[in-house]
Amino acid sequence: MAEQSIPAEVSEKLSALPVASAVALHLKADQYFDAIQGLIDRFATKKDLEVVYVTSTIPSQSILNAMEALEIPVEHIWFVDCITQIMMSQAKRHPHSIVVESPTMLENIMLKVEFLLRKNPDRNALVVLDSINSLAIHNNTKILSEFLHILVNNLRARGAYTVIISMQEYETEEIRNMLVLVSDEALELGV
Amino acid sequence: MPTMERDDGERERCVTGIDAIDHILNGGIPRGNTVLISGSVGTGKTSICIEFLIRGALEGENSLYLSVTEPTDKLLKNVIPFDFFDDRLAKQGKLQFVDMPKIYEELGIDKEDMDFKEARLLASRIASIVEEQKIRRLVLDSVTSVCYRIKDQERIRDFLLRLGTVLSAKGCTSLLVSEIRSTEEGYSRWGVEEALADGVIVTGNLERRGDLLRTLQVVKMRGTTHSRAKYVLDLTTSGVLLVPLLKGGSVTGSG
Repeated sequence: MAEQSIPAEVSEKLSALPVASAVALHLKADQYFDAIQGLIDRFATKKDLEVVYVTSTIPSQSILNAMEALEIPVEHIWFVDCITQIMMSQAKRHPHSIVVESPTMLENIMLKVEFLLRKNPDRNALVVLDSINSLAIHNNTKILSEFLHILVNNLRARGAYTVIISMQEYETEEIRNMLVLVSDEALELGV
Repeated sequence: MPTMERDDGERERCVTGIDAIDHILNGGIPRGNTVLISGSVGTGKTSICIEFLIRGALEGENSLYLSVTEPTDKLLKNVIPFDFFDDRLAKQGKLQFVDMPKIYEELGIDKEDMDFKEARLLASRIASIVEEQKIRRLVLDSVTSVCYRIKDQERIRDFLLRLGTVLSAKGCTSLLVSEIRSTEEGYSRWGVEEALADGVIVTGNLERRGDLLRTLQVVKMRGTTHSRAKYVLDLTTSGVLLVPLLKGGSVTGSG
């Protein structure tokens, strides 16, 4: 049997889960862009979901550039960008990108997610948190656990899918425990 | 006099339309309450008040904004362009803006220091506007500025008591904006405002590790149980949004 591509695997594994699932997606660095493609281009498109992509890892413009190269339509993708502002970048703001001043402003991340979900109340949503490891650089475990607990339960109550990306190379015991606590499923790719 | 009690014995609610605030208050502000919205500059007091009025007007409740500190033309230019705002509300008279200096002028009390009689005259005039226009929601922005003209604590107490009593009797739920300094203790400049109000909602700024968060906390609300926790606030075109303040981090400031 031919080996399944990463985008197809992500989409297939998520599609098998019930609506409102919270998933910890454990990725290796070389799987990162393929996994994003699987999440957005395959899974969200197939399920006709509005995507709210919270990035604290790389600026939203970089992800948008990658999507453009992959010819992924961005009409239903919205970004909460927690990294561009602290980089003091002069980069042009995409109309689908909202900036949070710093990844330490966890409440503001929740507020921006809420704002974007309210913009499209009739569509089901996928909220991607990219990544728990970069948020852990800026926040202590206690506040990060509290943030995840509130965010995930709120999204679950709304019927939205939550995917929390965790880069395996940067995972700590604390991060693993945190993800076990808040997520319904843990997915690893290529295993 | 309007019925202020529901069949289940609970006070009738004025559903603010700001979801999170209604949630905090277990369904809204008890109808007829006079609520102090207290906070320092830039903490979202006026935006909360304007949303409260627009949401009410959209539900068919006549709503009135009494502007003391700045002309309404200027105010409306600077207010958040809410997605749910409908121009027709003003044309239909559901949403009205009145500049207080015009009322002072009309009553011949356009001066720095009001005596007992003049303060009572002002309270009566506001009450008559509420009655004539069948106002169900009122915002006075700010009560602090009115109190500056009344000056004396006894006169302020008398003015607020009269105003609160008459508004409550007419089933008008009102928000009185209280301007305080960020360093100030208490929730009002004169001290009597918070004691006489049925409710106190405090907005503030909280500094945490260099980040400045806008916060909101309901300190007091007669006629309902409510959360007394602190929430973080965002002013958006979809309206005022709130989430709980996270407590896991080190909090160094006060809000």
